Amino acid sequence: MGTLIKIAWRNVRRHKRRTFLSALVIAVGLAMFILMNSIMTGWDRANIDNLIELSTSSIRISTKEYADDVESLPLKYGLQNVQELTTFLQQQEYVAGITPRTQFLGQLSNWEETIPVIGQVVNAKTDPTVFALMNYFEGNYFSDEGENEIILGKGLAEEMGVQLGDYITLYALTKYESRNADEFHIVGLLNTTDPNINLNTIMITYETADGFLDLEGLVTELYVSVERRVNYNLFVKDVQQLQSKLQSRFPELQIDSFLKIASGFLKLTEQKKAFGMIFMLIILAIAAVGIFNSVLMSVYERIREIGVLRAQGMKRGEIVTLFLWEGGFIGILGSILGLIIGCGANIYFVLVGIPLDQFSGFETSGIPFLGRMHGEWNIGAIIFVFLFGIIVAIAASYLPSRMASKLEVTKAIRYV
Amino acid sequence: MPLLELINVKKNYMKGETVIPALRGVDLLIEKGDFLSIVGPSGSGKSTLLNIIGCIDTPTEGSVLYDGTDLSDLNDKEKTNYRKENISFIFQSFNLIPVLTARENVELPLIIEKKFNKDEIHDKVTRIIEIVGLGDMADRFPRELSGGQEQRVAIARALVKNPLVVLADEPTANLDSGMSEDIISIMQKMNEEIHTTFIFSTHDPLVQKHAERVIILRDGLIASDERKNNGHAD
Ligand SMILES: Nc1ncnc2c1ncn2[C@@H]1O[C@H](COP(=O)(O)OP(=O)(O)OP(=O)(O)O)[C@@H](O)[C@H]1O
Ligand SMILES: [Mg+2]
Repeated sequence: MGTLIKIAWRNVRRHKRRTFLSALVIAVGLAMFILMNSIMTGWDRANIDNLIELSTSSIRISTKEYADDVESLPLKYGLQNVQELTTFLQQQEYVAGITPRTQFLGQLSNWEETIPVIGQVVNAKTDPTVFALMNYFEGNYFSDEGENEIILGKGLAEEMGVQLGDYITLYALTKYESRNADEFHIVGLLNTTDPNINLNTIMITYETADGFLDLEGLVTELYVSVERRVNYNLFVKDVQQLQSKLQSRFPELQIDSFLKIASGFLKLTEQKKAFGMIFMLIILAIAAVGIFNSVLMSVYERIREIGVLRAQGMKRGEIVTLFLWEGGFIGILGSILGLIIGCGANIYFVLVGIPLDQFSGFETSGIPFLGRMHGEWNIGAIIFVFLFGIIVAIAASYLPSRMASKLEVTKAIRYV
Repeated sequence: MPLLELINVKKNYMKGETVIPALRGVDLLIEKGDFLSIVGPSGSGKSTLLNIIGCIDTPTEGSVLYDGTDLSDLNDKEKTNYRKENISFIFQSFNLIPVLTARENVELPLIIEKKFNKDEIHDKVTRIIEIVGLGDMADRFPRELSGGQEQRVAIARALVKNPLVVLADEPTANLDSGMSEDIISIMQKMNEEIHTTFIFSTHDPLVQKHAERVIILRDGLIASDERKNNGHAD
């Protein structure tokens, strides 16, 4: 065995250029996979982070009745134990913020036209601890001045032909189902490309809502944010742990994590991963053709040598092994090279990242990003692709190796 | 019992539709220790005969008995084994493995045989390399050797496993006469000292001169088979 390996290795070294080129194709396939995987994971992570920060939070708590009837955003099923929940949550690890929200259906009117909207009653103090909407504001956030203040989606404002500082009329049914209308001062605009937020959403504070909706502090939803972790899987674990703790402590409540709230989006993410896998398989298939060719050339060049080895009593299987080792060495070299190139380039993507404004108009979640997107290390994927590169190389060598072993000894020896 | 017995061996090659009879019924007895040369014009079947004896080719008809066993009864694996244990080849064009040094080339048959440990292999190889006079060139690669030196390596490689038969197809055809003389005398020495059986085909009168027994092939048939009394003693 040692001698077979020695012969194989020396032949691989002997044809440096051929070996290098074949290995390079593998290396490129590997490096591209590592980078694509990193960037796609990072991209998805940025999307998920945005989704969590802007709309789902990590965990959403409501009553079961509310959850069953959530489409109509009823104001009947308030959480009875917000204080108890808050205290409990504050004692848990990794909880970064807790904030109540109460959603309601309303209509916005500028005397000319009336548009249905979704109202969000927010706690001006705690809301920013869970949602990062602050980053997307034009104008001001809610002040304490006691006036009726409102924040609109920017698209909505444009449609209504109103601007910051203008006044606008909001209609809604109060908790007791009586119609109410009032004037609101527009203090801020929410500029996101999420059509839900941009075109449908208005926000008012609990203080305002108390008068306007007779809310009396009614909270229909409690949002919880869990501290971000670099490792997404650990983050998911934290969230799930907290969710199950909550569920066992408050079995009567509906407790959903972002995994469920955003399940449609997350499914899309999985599909994209499968697509990336197919892409890599195509590159490795090209690499396989390269190796096949390289080993085939090696076989053709050494037909006489094969004849001599067979005449000396080397078994067919040993000839196969000999050439498999050649392919294997090319695969190992290519995989190592690919690992170096891929991981080297990935260091840049992880540490420096890509500025996200380059991607404007390309948002998958409909939510714009700020700052930079960073690549992620995916050790499992890297180990997998390393081994896969070697396996592909060996598999690609199999056919020419078998061909070598099937050569007729007399013809092989005569071959010139 | 003779070492090798060929009974009515025929070999036909097909070239498209036409049958080319390379051997047309060869009967031959080879004794252990024979130093035998097969001569004959080009195309007379010398290589074919050697290949059949060496079990890398099969006769179309007839049988080859080796110590009483019929080679045609063996399957491919058994033939490979048979070669591994009993037969060595020396080729006209040396056919050393280019990526192995002289020493490593000589080691190869022992490694393929898997019978000896490292030390034993080292001892055997060192001894045979000395005998063929390549002691100081053991670590050179084939491309760093002259043709005569390469053929010595090939002889060492053929002899190192102490085979029953060494088959040499025109071993001196690519060498000048001085080198040919060397090569022949090395083979002769091995034949005398350890009674290795040598069968070689040749066009080279010099080689024929040294042979104890000369077989002349003509059109795939044995035209004459002569044994000299005092062989190379002249
Ligand atoms: N693989 C083959 N296919 C077809 N014909 C072959 C094959 N091998 C040998 N022959 C033919 O068989 C005959 C005998 O060939 P062989 O090689 O045994 O002759 P030889 O005596 O060794 O000749 P030379 O002195 O030129 O080496 C020749 O006519 C040759 O053309
Ligand atoms: Mg010949």
